[in-house]
Amino acid sequence: MKLPPITNGFEIVYKKPDTLTDTPMHYCPGCGHGVVHRVLMEVVDEMKIQDKTIGVAPVGCSVFAYNYMNVDMQEAAHGRATAVATGIKRVLPDRFVFTYQGDGDLAAIGTGETVHTVNRGENILIVFINNGVYGMTGGQMAPTTLLGMKTTTSPYGREAASAGFPLKITNLITQLPGALYVTRQAVHEPNAVRRLKKAVRLAFEYQLLKKGTCFIEVVSNCPSGWKMTPQESNKWMEENMFPMYPLGDLKVPSQTMN
Amino acid sequence: MSFSSSVVQLRSGNQMMAEGAIQAGCKFFAGYPITPATGIFKTMIDLLPANAGVALSAPDEISAIAYCIGASMRGFKTMTATSGPGWSLMIESVQYALMTETPLVVALVQRLGPSTGGATQGGQGDVLLAEFCTSGGYTLPVLCPTNAKECFELTILAFTWSEILRMPVILLSDKETGMTVESIDYSTLSNATSQNRPSNFAFRDYGEFQKEQRKGTYYIDALQEIPTFAPVGGDRKVTATGSAHDKQGKLQKNSPETIDMLIHLEEKLRWRHDDFSLVNMDLQESAKTLVISYGITSRAAKDAVGAARNVGHAVSSLVIQSLFPIPVKKLAQALDGIERVVVVEENMHGLYRSVLERYCNGQRVQGVNKIGAMITPKEILNAILG
Repeated sequence: MKLPPITNGFEIVYKKPDTLTDTPMHYCPGCGHGVVHRVLMEVVDEMKIQDKTIGVAPVGCSVFAYNYMNVDMQEAAHGRATAVATGIKRVLPDRFVFTYQGDGDLAAIGTGETVHTVNRGENILIVFINNGVYGMTGGQMAPTTLLGMKTTTSPYGREAASAGFPLKITNLITQLPGALYVTRQAVHEPNAVRRLKKAVRLAFEYQLLKKGTCFIEVVSNCPSGWKMTPQESNKWMEENMFPMYPLGDLKVPSQTMN
Repeated sequence: MSFSSSVVQLRSGNQMMAEGAIQAGCKFFAGYPITPATGIFKTMIDLLPANAGVALSAPDEISAIAYCIGASMRGFKTMTATSGPGWSLMIESVQYALMTETPLVVALVQRLGPSTGGATQGGQGDVLLAEFCTSGGYTLPVLCPTNAKECFELTILAFTWSEILRMPVILLSDKETGMTVESIDYSTLSNATSQNRPSNFAFRDYGEFQKEQRKGTYYIDALQEIPTFAPVGGDRKVTATGSAHDKQGKLQKNSPETIDMLIHLEEKLRWRHDDFSLVNMDLQESAKTLVISYGITSRAAKDAVGAARNVGHAVSSLVIQSLFPIPVKKLAQALDGIERVVVVEENMHGLYRSVLERYCNGQRVQGVNKIGAMITPKEILNAILG
């Protein structure tokens, strides 16, 4: 009989997922990346698909994702994550393939790849971390930056007249017939994390249907880029990011598969 | 333009490139974040609007350079800045600018490659990627500063070269030169601005200009001539294409005139070759060894040359700022009486050395090379004395 693991007389009811490595994360304190990484790997653990999962990370803060997610991980050229994932999925259709991209990667330099990957209905999961700035290079304006938001390259706040409007690319790709499941989630509080986990679980399971692309936007924070404490950044995100990027499902499979 | 009342300021090479661009009359900049070139982008965003210019954030490097080409076709002096991965994306449009004879300055702040490489690790590995990025191997001017002050001066020069040659000019910096903060004494900086492209703006007699321009957007009498620039959105039709074209700017396959125009793209620079060379020569008459360096490694080379002379070893130094076109005459002058050439560069197997070798007749050429770290004066000294 296998006994449950016991530590100092306490039963373990919550622990780091086995598929998340022990490597200390390089992400800044309060950043949402760590939580999203964990949620992804918890689902991989629960579905027992570690050996069947392949991730593609891009250029950006998640260049080191392979250090933390103990599945096959590729870092693609900037913006090309879904294109590399397409190649992998086409030759390994029985694997679970996901990309993990920031807003600069997915919604700026990779916009073309994003649109065409979803339009083809590639059977992959696209995880899109939207924090409204380029984090890795030091907080420059991204397509998703809010109007009026100050960044190093919009020092007086983003103006629509010169820099356009925040790009709601998730809404854009929802319109494409290749999109199977599109949802927008967050990780700023425990309930949100649980909802994200449900979404990730669904998205992985939907890959088995081979009916189209799953797309999960995670509205996240960037305490360093926003020049805020983690708590301030979560509050600011709720007050400013969520009205522009409201949480919830944008498309669920029942609408598509009728 | 005023930066501060104080004369001496701390500035990075990237900042000085941006300030140089503004003094040169640059009125349009587009960029995309990439370490270690972001400082130029950021500084232009900060300074250009206040200097009656336009600074734009692009969704990627392909767009950034294309924005610049569009603005330059109207007559604006334009610039973009990137590093290796972004340069790779820009190459198609660099060729388009060459083909359409559109002036443009591109700052390429090198980092360790290939691919994403090392974003925060310097290198000098893009020398040949910068120069030989065109189908056909056209000569593109490549200027390479060694410090923050030269970043300022060479940027102004890059604008002049790109304007009068009507072609893209590359400012080849590197992470150390671009991001190291140094003291800049503004009182020692030149007040010069850059020259303007030969254009109808400059024509005294507009009627005469129109008469000439009726002959075509790229009308020239001899292959080495620079066609007079006419802006898009002006009062006469302008036709430009990245396809092979005749003097009218119209797509042609391989008519004799079209082939002439392709030869002209190289000939206009080749004919003026000697006007476009810039080096720092520090020659010793009795020296049998010549150290050739460029960019950040020339600063270590300078130390090494000084140390060698201190121990009584005669040695000459040639720091090349205009990497391309290769300053052949000045190189020949420096090679006079030399038996051994040491080429110092922070890349794996001597990229610039590989193109210099054919100009070294009879001299033994050796390299001091390294990747992943700066070359030290000691390593160069060992090569000089060895």
